[in-house]
Amino acid sequence: MGGRYGAFTFCDRITDYVPARSARATFAVPATLGEFPSCLVAEATGQLAAWVSMAHIGFRGRPVAALARDVRMHAEVNPGETLTLEVDVEECDDNAVFYQGRAHVAGEERVQLIDCLGPMLPQHDYDSADDLARQFALLCGDGAAPGRFDGVGAHAMETIAADGESRSARLHVPVDAPYFVDHFPRRPVFPATLLLDHAIRLATALVDVDDDRPRRVSRVHNVKMRDFIRPGEDVVLQVTKVAPGDFDARVRMTAKIGDRKMATAQIGFAPARVEAA
Amino acid sequence: MRGLNEMEFTRQQIDAVFPKVADVIADALGCDIEDVKLDSSLIEDLDAESIDFLDLVFRLERAFKVKIPRGKIVEDARGDLAEADFEQKGVVTDAGLQRLREFLSEVPPERIKTPLKAADIPRLFTPETFCKVVLRAQKNAPAAAA
Repeated sequence: MGGRYGAFTFCDRITDYVPARSARATFAVPATLGEFPSCLVAEATGQLAAWVSMAHIGFRGRPVAALARDVRMHAEVNPGETLTLEVDVEECDDNAVFYQGRAHVAGEERVQLIDCLGPMLPQHDYDSADDLARQFALLCGDGAAPGRFDGVGAHAMETIAADGESRSARLHVPVDAPYFVDHFPRRPVFPATLLLDHAIRLATALVDVDDDRPRRVSRVHNVKMRDFIRPGEDVVLQVTKVAPGDFDARVRMTAKIGDRKMATAQIGFAPARVEAA
Repeated sequence: MRGLNEMEFTRQQIDAVFPKVADVIADALGCDIEDVKLDSSLIEDLDAESIDFLDLVFRLERAFKVKIPRGKIVEDARGDLAEADFEQKGVVTDAGLQRLREFLSEVPPERIKTPLKAADIPRLFTPETFCKVVLRAQKNAPAAAA
């Protein structure tokens, strides 16, 4: 499984499409996966916006994740569930795409993307425009075979420092990973959403220390990706409490390579839903 | 065309929009609003990057309910000066510098160093630059709607 348009592509079929404006698509999360983190749900939604914007400019450019004002994570998506993805593109041209997005399962919203902005980069540096155009036509037609995604694998992350207020860890981006086939064929880039997923795990370890009051990530906001992270690079993630509220802790995340700041975001927590006995 | 020393907007006009512009900038850049001064360099003092300018434009459009042309600050600064007269081999010419000093009158002259690469012009932008962007959009709105 995996492979091109399977390793890190989260769209089985585009069911509604208004050029340059909006789209709706489905993606069946393979039941064989151990988990499907909310960051990948956000990735799936962002990828749909990318398809709409690339199609609008004849696939000569591709957007990359840069800014997201708010990603609200209402509930986890479980393996075996089918996502419905929706995007409203407010603006797209050769410079950038600006959009809103939602992902829901059986009518229940799981993830919402608010005010996302991705600058367009020259397609030929990253991928084949013709190949993408053919895949887009397939997605808008009969759709692609579901069940191709088989996970992103484990990433080595070692704790560097930890106290009650902050934690830092070194994340090693593999030189070779299956998702680089899709992200991107001509110039592999570590996906921003995978970076955020690791930041969330680190932030959760910082915040969720009280067994009596478990917390879950409720939002990631003011996300800013400043530069690309390449295969083989070591990224130092640091998370620091900025609002240690009883119910709504907030953590600031910074990702650095050496002295270079690669990404920043804030991660918000809410009380975890307690299952009824 | 505006004269070289003619003020495009009054201090009162700029002060009227500044609080909301500062609020938008603080929110977009994740900084404290107290750090957003009219003459702060957005890049050097507030850690902004070029992508933030595009984000700011979107946010300001919503906050002020105006339409702001994309990537027009440098183009507007150039005015009726031909591109070749404004910059040569990526460096702003003397005539271009004169236009910049006029157009970005809020930028302290000592900050406009020579030689100035055209790519570094955004380093000069301040919150007041964006106050003026908003005011221009508001000024142009009735004409656009007519």
